[in-house]
Amino acid sequence: MQLRRQPLSAPRPGDTRPAAQRLAVPLLLLLALQGAAASGGPEDSGWLQDAEPSSRLLSQAARAALHFFNFRAASPSALQVLANVLDGRSWVNQKKEYKFDLVFTTEFYSAEEGEKRLGKCSAQVFFRNEKPRPAVNVTCTQLVKKERRQEEDYQLYKLMKQLKSPLNAVSIPDSHGYIAPSLRPIWDLAFLGSSYVMWQKSTPFLHYYMSQISSVKQWKTNDDAIDFDYTVLLHEFSTQEIIPCRIHLVWYPSKPLKVKYHCQERQTPEEASGTEEGSAVALTELSNF
Amino acid sequence: MKPLLGTFYLLGMLVPGWLGYDRSLTQQRQEVVDKVVSPWRILETYSYNRYHPMGEIYQWMSEIREKYTEVVTQHFLGMTYESRPMYYLKISQPSSNPKKIIWMDCGIHAREWIAPAFCQWFVKEILQNYEDNSRIRRLLKNLDFYVLPVFNIDGYIYTWTTDRLWRKSRSSHNNGTCFGTDLNRNFDASWCSIGASHNCESLTFCGMGPMSEPETKAVSSFIESKKENIACFLTMHSYGQLILVPYGYTKNKSNNHEELIQVGQKAANALKAKHGTNYRVGSSADILYATSGSSRDWARDIGIPFSYTFELRDNGTYGFVLPETQIQATCEETMEAVLSVLDDVYEKYWYTNSARKAKSTALVLSLLMSFMSLL
Repeated sequence: MQLRRQPLSAPRPGDTRPAAQRLAVPLLLLLALQGAAASGGPEDSGWLQDAEPSSRLLSQAARAALHFFNFRAASPSALQVLANVLDGRSWVNQKKEYKFDLVFTTEFYSAEEGEKRLGKCSAQVFFRNEKPRPAVNVTCTQLVKKERRQEEDYQLYKLMKQLKSPLNAVSIPDSHGYIAPSLRPIWDLAFLGSSYVMWQKSTPFLHYYMSQISSVKQWKTNDDAIDFDYTVLLHEFSTQEIIPCRIHLVWYPSKPLKVKYHCQERQTPEEASGTEEGSAVALTELSNF
Repeated sequence: MKPLLGTFYLLGMLVPGWLGYDRSLTQQRQEVVDKVVSPWRILETYSYNRYHPMGEIYQWMSEIREKYTEVVTQHFLGMTYESRPMYYLKISQPSSNPKKIIWMDCGIHAREWIAPAFCQWFVKEILQNYEDNSRIRRLLKNLDFYVLPVFNIDGYIYTWTTDRLWRKSRSSHNNGTCFGTDLNRNFDASWCSIGASHNCESLTFCGMGPMSEPETKAVSSFIESKKENIACFLTMHSYGQLILVPYGYTKNKSNNHEELIQVGQKAANALKAKHGTNYRVGSSADILYATSGSSRDWARDIGIPFSYTFELRDNGTYGFVLPETQIQATCEETMEAVLSVLDDVYEKYWYTNSARKAKSTALVLSLLMSFMSLL
């Protein structure tokens, strides 16, 4: 199955898939549609297609796909959020693993009131039991041309470099939902880092939103990159819990995002943490980190 | 009642932090003096586009009652866990017409600030417009509005003083080591069967038993006492942009499910027409998640026909911490949705009532005729 074959730790934007892989998904869909009760090849693994996929499940899978997309794009000026799921199919197997095939629309995270430009994405999302984070294959129409996006990221970066360290900012936004315009780039960058964490933690039954930045431990802009260490409060649906996550990211425009995180889980004894370089060129850059 | 309220408020001002804000004692005393001198002070400059701490909301209620005394009365429901009074406002056009009750409560979850903001907006809109607006005038002919602006007062204050993202009440459990019951899991509707936790640490803690919390008891005993006359039960939350119908505790549907969906969808369309915001309509179990012990499910199960949960803006961008700059648009569009529901409820009741009158008149006449034919 295509999703299992895809190496997780090195998403390569601009990767072209060999013809065999491109055919595998529609073939698999065909097999699934013909009735998964009939035993197929070794690829089949007992996948049962859901005749009436719940819109909630489809939306959750779409969000997980978008978190991964945002992380991979590493572009704080072009973050996308889910608008609507246009089409979706879901399958579940005996191990209670889920996979989804989705088409959905997106909008800009930082859209001005009234500005409504919709992007469109197609994604395959696979929630496995062994590795909690979903495997995602996603392509989206380019809402903004690459050059323009890079330029806006660079403008954001310049703004951020001018920022005096916001260590005294208690929470962003404040209780009344207000974010000072000068602090807005921090919010966007924090959301980018949180996207990685939310992607990692999403399951078919748990999805996340970023509620507030509760503290900023460090904001460094030497060595050209932005080095940002902060704590974010994630709202976990459907437990309603607020999960504090300490995130440390390093960002430079047009470079892949490097991020480490550690979340405080209240219910489960073990705590979730992880590291991701987001780049094929892992080791050398990690040493700088 | 009035001197009692005044004394209460004075006491509240003198106890720092009790009514939810941190001001110096001198400043508080000065404000008390100002307020005594000019009774409508807060109402004249009250901004419905800002979030207000509980002390201001208490005062707002009091002044609303004073200013619109011909249609507004304020009523006591009970005390919260931390011994604060719970009041609702009753808006009623005096008449000999039979009335049905519309109940609206906001802020059962402390961090959902946009909800109490909407309750205040709703009251303001009705009172500022009931004389010239024919739509609202018509509704008030046969409907009374009962509005509880903040259900979870202790929790709401806590979000102002200590933790902006607090959700539950502030009742004490496990020997003072754990706080708060999720009031919307505490109602007697398949209590704690699903989507709720017996563990106080959880944010969906259902309490020690159904209706264990004083806030739940206060509201439910009142609603129970009036249930024959309550046509519509609306409970306002955030966020998610949803209009939810029963049930959360089962995928089964209420016997009037189709009608509830139809009315809900019409309301969502009216809402969208205002500022383009998309709301989805469905049962809680279908489009949100399984929950038990919710006020909406309980209201439906005791016989109130129209029972809805509104999850207001937004969709996750700011979530609970919705910017004040969005209050107006959110309230305007939600107002359209609520009025749409009320129109449908009104028409159903009025049509049924007049149809009933026609039927009973016909029955009496036919009985008379048959009696006379026997003579």
